[in-house]
Amino acid sequence: MHICTVIGNVWATQKEATLGGLRLLVVRPFTTDGDGSAETMVAVDTVSAGVGERVLVVHGRAARHAIGKGHDIGFQTAIVGVIDSMELEGGRIVGQTAENDRSTGGAN
Amino acid sequence: MFLGRVIGEVWATQKNPDLNGLRLLVIEALDERSDPGAPKVTPVVAADPIGAGIGEQVLVACGGDGDYAYEAAVVGIVDDFDVPGAPDSWRADAPRLGATPEGGRA
Repeated sequence: MHICTVIGNVWATQKEATLGGLRLLVVRPFTTDGDGSAETMVAVDTVSAGVGERVLVVHGRAARHAIGKGHDIGFQTAIVGVIDSMELEGGRIVGQTAENDRSTGGAN
Repeated sequence: MFLGRVIGEVWATQKNPDLNGLRLLVIEALDERSDPGAPKVTPVVAADPIGAGIGEQVLVACGGDGDYAYEAAVVGIVDDFDVPGAPDSWRADAPRLGATPEGGRA
């Protein structure tokens, strides 16, 4: 399971039949030095996440389980949670969106 | 399974029911910290049934069987390890990269 930020939507009309009815979002993996991974992924949204929100992303069979369309589905990345907040060491609070980030750490 | 260090905790309300009641920890693999200045890799979030705390080194098992909507779990808290040649950053008391030094509250 990884932390990602939703950065956009994807639509595809012509697609593999098992992908019908699924909402696809583009996500960028979170890194502890910011939201700055160069990599992005496409994930099936199972929890009504929105653009800008930080989410929990699972891979492989766990994703297929979350999508709930059986194991024949041609997709193995899914969003399974919208993060309310995250506390990292050093008193750093990471919020649901980047605007909610703050630090309770010592003076700079 | 990999060796990691707990760097935080996550809370989510809107989530798959399989995650209900699970404590979710943010974990950085020990070997991701061995190269100062290297770009950070995205940390892993794992279910924690055994009560590990921030800063502790843990064993993380990955790869679900499809019965649950998560695929990583903390399965042990490391007491000690002996890995000849392991970088200093693997030590439990190693300075934290990317975190504010002395960042905790009084």
